[in-house]
Amino acid sequence: MSQRALIAGDFLSLLDEHKLPPFRHELSGAAPVQTQATTVFAFHFADGILMAGDRRATAGNVIVTDRVDKVIEIDATSLLAIAGVPATAFEMARVLQTSFEYYRRSQLQALSLPAKVRALARLLRDNLPMTMQGIGVVVPLFAGLDHSTSPASPRVYFYDPLGAQFQAVGYAASGSGSGTIRSILSFQEQHGKPRPSQMNLSQAVQFALRLLMTASEFDSATGGVNPATETFATLKVLKSTGVETISEEQQKQFLKS
Amino acid sequence: MTEEPYRWLEAVGNRREYVREQLKGGSPVLGASLPDGILLLGIGGGQSKVFELFDRHALAGLGHPADIEKIRQAAIDAAHMESFTRAPEDVSLRRLIGFGLSPQLKTNFEQIFSAPFLVELLLAEIGSSQEHDLFSRLHFDGSFQNQHGGIAVAASDADAESAATTWLTEANVPAKPRGQAAEFLLQAWWCLSANKSFAALPPEEERRNGWREAVRGKTVEIGWLARTTPRLARYQTLTLANLDL
Repeated sequence: MSQRALIAGDFLSLLDEHKLPPFRHELSGAAPVQTQATTVFAFHFADGILMAGDRRATAGNVIVTDRVDKVIEIDATSLLAIAGVPATAFEMARVLQTSFEYYRRSQLQALSLPAKVRALARLLRDNLPMTMQGIGVVVPLFAGLDHSTSPASPRVYFYDPLGAQFQAVGYAASGSGSGTIRSILSFQEQHGKPRPSQMNLSQAVQFALRLLMTASEFDSATGGVNPATETFATLKVLKSTGVETISEEQQKQFLKS
Repeated sequence: MTEEPYRWLEAVGNRREYVREQLKGGSPVLGASLPDGILLLGIGGGQSKVFELFDRHALAGLGHPADIEKIRQAAIDAAHMESFTRAPEDVSLRRLIGFGLSPQLKTNFEQIFSAPFLVELLLAEIGSSQEHDLFSRLHFDGSFQNQHGGIAVAASDADAESAATTWLTEANVPAKPRGQAAEFLLQAWWCLSANKSFAALPPEEERRNGWREAVRGKTVEIGWLARTTPRLARYQTLTLANLDL
């Protein structure tokens, strides 16, 4: 990483000053077996945005764990859903968490949504050498609050592995199971009664859990949702008031209702 | 050559007097460890007295705004670097003060050809219970005192600071609900600002009216470190209306 000038409130500048860049780009002769594969998605519903992720991590055809949280609260008004290599993705989440809070505390104001969206794009670009090697690709989703409207409006963004960012109008999905999810979301968006944007919280949670159940039918790398084995998803909601977590107990209740 | 140490001692003594003179009239800041969290309070001209430092840490101070700002920034830098390179749980007030801010302040104070920091500071760390809450009273020369729970005050006059702390402690403020505790802190702030003796305090009615009159046109800065929240960041800013005051 090139040496950056110290910028007020910029945590990456502070890391550079201490010679502690978050991503080091030594080339590897042999690619290790990667832990990856995922289904994460987000869609607008009546109260805001629901962001969901399965909890499975795989390495090749081996299931490493079914207890990974892929939807991460970055701060009180931002969510990140990670798809790709967890080692890199979790480090990106940690950099963003520290950077956003560092800026807010040092500059006495929160970072704007465009700046947050670009901060993630910058990390993806910094990770380009790992992406090109094929051992560190991360394709995340990001949700944040746009404070230029009143009340603040939740927005969803998706990225390509090189860092290009796109705002999603109704929904976005990423990971190996995302094809299935996108098809269903597209169908529901056009023909559903209710459409995702018209769903209340209960309907949106049920819909999200069933989407993951369906994705896991077609993608072995996506962990399913099974109340009988107490296997649930990571679900978080972003409203104009901030982030809320839908607990496993709540998911169980919503599925029953 | 033999007189040089005496000149240095005299210069440091003069410097101490200069700093104390400059800090006279500074608006005091107060803190109370309560059952549900830590309350920090200061009255200033904007966002200038009470600040969030890190997830469980906050700072309140009086003095020159530029000097408070330098120390605030140094503390935020150190806390976030520690959090990122280790973990948020490793950021502790004891280490932040003892190995970071205090040595820097002492070095600065004793470098007699540079301007001293004009600050008196109160730092707080929320714990799992009142007994685990930590206040650190950090002085302009780098000296500091740590205490668990209770009441902490930072004022330009040490005797008045001690009297206010004693009065608030005897009033059992740490056992009171947040709104009532804030009322007591505001009364103590008014007594300190108006140079009222804590040995012969005005009646409660006068104290209540006194602070309300005195804060008119100023900003009451209230910081709250909540003991339990779903989020890592425990700090929030409160207003008098939030406290029904």
